[in-house]
Amino acid sequence: MNYELNRSGDIMNFKKWFFKHHKEQNPKNNKAEVDDNLFDLLKQLRGSNDFKEVVIKDGIKKVKLFYFHSLVDRKILHRDIIPYIKKEQVNSVEDVREVVPSENIETTSDVNKIQNQILSGSCMVQVGENSQSVALMRAKINKNRNVSIPEVEFSVVGPKEAFVESLDTNLNLIRKRLPIPELRIEEMTVGKITKSKVAILSIEGITNEENVNTLRERLQSIEVDSIIDSSYIVQLISDNQNSPFPQLIDTERPDRVAAILTEGKVAFLVDGAPHAIIAPTTLVEFFSAFEDYFLNWITASFFRLVRLFGVFFSILVTPLYVAVLTYHYELIPKDLLGILVTSRREIPLPPILEAIFLELAIELLREAGARLPTKVGQTIGIVGGIVIGTASVEAGLTSNVLLIFVALAALASFTTPVYQIGNTIRLIRFPFLFSAHLWGLLGVSICFCFFMGHLLRLTSLGRPFLEPIYPPRVKDFKDAFIRLPWTFQSQRPVEVQAQDTMRFNKKKAKEKKEIDE
Amino acid sequence: MKELQRQVSDRYKVSPYLVLFLISSIQIGVGVLGFQSNVVNIAGNDSWIAVILAGLLIHILIWIIYKILKYGNGDLITIHYDVFGKWLGGVFSFVWILYFIGIGVVVLRTFLQVVQVWMFSDINMFWVTSVYLILIYYLVSGGFRVVTGVAFLGIVIPSYLILSLIYTLEYTNFNHLLPVWNHSYRDILSASQTMTFSFIGFSALLIFYPYIKEPEKSKVWGHAGNLYSFILYLIIILITIAYFTEGHLVRHYWPTLTMWKTVEMPFVERFEYIGISSWGLIILPNVCLAFWAASRGIRQLFRFSQRKGLILILLLTLGANMFISSHDQLVTFNEYFSQIGFYLITCYLPFLLLMTYFRIGRKKKS
Repeated sequence: MNYELNRSGDIMNFKKWFFKHHKEQNPKNNKAEVDDNLFDLLKQLRGSNDFKEVVIKDGIKKVKLFYFHSLVDRKILHRDIIPYIKKEQVNSVEDVREVVPSENIETTSDVNKIQNQILSGSCMVQVGENSQSVALMRAKINKNRNVSIPEVEFSVVGPKEAFVESLDTNLNLIRKRLPIPELRIEEMTVGKITKSKVAILSIEGITNEENVNTLRERLQSIEVDSIIDSSYIVQLISDNQNSPFPQLIDTERPDRVAAILTEGKVAFLVDGAPHAIIAPTTLVEFFSAFEDYFLNWITASFFRLVRLFGVFFSILVTPLYVAVLTYHYELIPKDLLGILVTSRREIPLPPILEAIFLELAIELLREAGARLPTKVGQTIGIVGGIVIGTASVEAGLTSNVLLIFVALAALASFTTPVYQIGNTIRLIRFPFLFSAHLWGLLGVSICFCFFMGHLLRLTSLGRPFLEPIYPPRVKDFKDAFIRLPWTFQSQRPVEVQAQDTMRFNKKKAKEKKEIDE
Repeated sequence: MKELQRQVSDRYKVSPYLVLFLISSIQIGVGVLGFQSNVVNIAGNDSWIAVILAGLLIHILIWIIYKILKYGNGDLITIHYDVFGKWLGGVFSFVWILYFIGIGVVVLRTFLQVVQVWMFSDINMFWVTSVYLILIYYLVSGGFRVVTGVAFLGIVIPSYLILSLIYTLEYTNFNHLLPVWNHSYRDILSASQTMTFSFIGFSALLIFYPYIKEPEKSKVWGHAGNLYSFILYLIIILITIAYFTEGHLVRHYWPTLTMWKTVEMPFVERFEYIGISSWGLIILPNVCLAFWAASRGIRQLFRFSQRKGLILILLLTLGANMFISSHDQLVTFNEYFSQIGFYLITCYLPFLLLMTYFRIGRKKKS
């Protein structure tokens, strides 16, 4: 008995040596929550050199102006605030409000509010040295990138606006496309340190409230101190965080956001991030470019099918090559086999090493191209692609047939219109490759089953991710692998469970003109 | 210790029309690859009649199952509990659980046997079984909705294989079917008995019934599912009889695979490799559904976690798969199992219907 106790004691000691005791610690530096008086706040702010303190009027009651010169537009100060205060008699904070002709002015003595306002670009006017009540005026400097053309989701036809880093500009880009009172924008702050503003967008009467509530709850439950970009939030609120598949779509096109809002989905924007996030989404949506809606439905559908083929080709072609050349020579007809064998005649490596070598080369090229500045990146791509490819074939390290396959597969993986899913495709080639080496075609089939099972289990905002394939919803196939004409799109997708399922009157849209009338 | 669960939350239920895929996916399995030789061995060119008889028999049995479930209002385990009481009902339930595990084992082992014979003679049985079992664990632990999804995709994705039969038509001679009815009733009936083995999995309906939304509506779909697989079997047996001469056929253990040898495409020579690999997806719903049913049965009967029950089943399967090491053993196991399965569904189910009617159904009516 004693011995047992000792032993368990030893283990505890051991643990003490190797692991830190994790007490429930709340971060100490929560200076965000100052509930002291104004004096302490000012003392703290004076610690920064960009915090300015100007005496505008001397007298019995000193009028002082406080602001961060890195946050405030001085034009506004000198044009709209200081002259008026100087000109008139100011005896109290209320007088400041009377005197300054601006609607963005308020008086308060709430220290927390004062702090938040000052730190987000307001200036503060204090009348009298020890007054706790102050006037706050918005004088934020607006230094934003101009709205430019979308680069990730470029389209030849259609609008050429992309989101920027300012939430106000982004909301403007969306609201001007949806001039209805039902468009609802809910703001909240996330992240203890960054205090990032997040805006949830939905359309009342169309969007299913359940989706909005789920999204709101998930956003509220985020416990991370800093949110630098919307992609942080995407990772934090995804249904399955251990999946290589993205479960929320991000887009830089305001027109796309407007379109999906009318479909009954929910979107959110984060201040400082040039992307909107759309939910719920499905796997097939990742393969539909927004340009599909600008083109006529026949061409759009054709391109979608091409893209889908590209995805499968990109994932499967190298594994199939490895599987066939490692195990199933018999699968290939005699004439074709001749070509394959000749191309591999001088190669000392087994197919799997050959394939990994080339795939790795392609991955390195891509990674290098992505990290380098645009112009250098392009050169690297061309030099790397042509030189390394040709040289490795000539050196007898890889067969030229495989080189063609790998290059085509890389090309095919670039056809995915959403960047995130392109990365996923890059990644999931490798499990297929290894399983093909292990058990040939059977391995590929097993690996496929694993991914199929994974996709079946995935959800996006609680809605099935593989819809409309499973659960099978025939209605949603109108905009899945092919895109049927607009007159067929009278119903909102079943996936989103919209409150109002009809988009427009199908009969009226389909009405045909009588001959010669 | 958990409660005997009689109601299933709506969140886990599936639409009634998916019963079509559930039923047909568990009926179309590894049997399609080689059911012909057993049947033709007994009934010769009249085998197709045997297939029809077996299909009709299954329709009747599905009707019986729906009646049982309607009177019993629950799944097989709760019905056993209500009708026979805790102990006797428990014993019956246990037999059925073993039977479901058996289905999974037979299907998986037979499939791996095909793989071993046709594709990889030196494949490591232990590892490939383990990987399949991990896959099955991953799928079944996703719940019934995921299992249904596997059933659905397990029917839809490999359906392109049906097209491969077109290639064989070139070499068929449908005169082989003549003369019709040149075998005795006895032969044909005994052939249909053999045939039912391919169909038996549908009894998982007894367990997953509470998981269907508006289960009454699923009746039609259940029968449609059976009809689909029944017609598929019928087409295959007709083509097989026309393709092979009778003496030739009985020498083949997996005639469907042999027929695939005629498939020729510009870039594919031995189509059976593709066929067998795709079959890995077709057997998946068989095994998943059987193991799901068994683990759900264990959860209801012994009232402990379904997940643990599932792990237990998978370990058992691994053991059984290693234990059945030779082809002869597999054949013997298959034979015994098909006998037990046949009597379980044809004799026990009507008996259960009568018992349920007298113990529960009649009271409810009055």
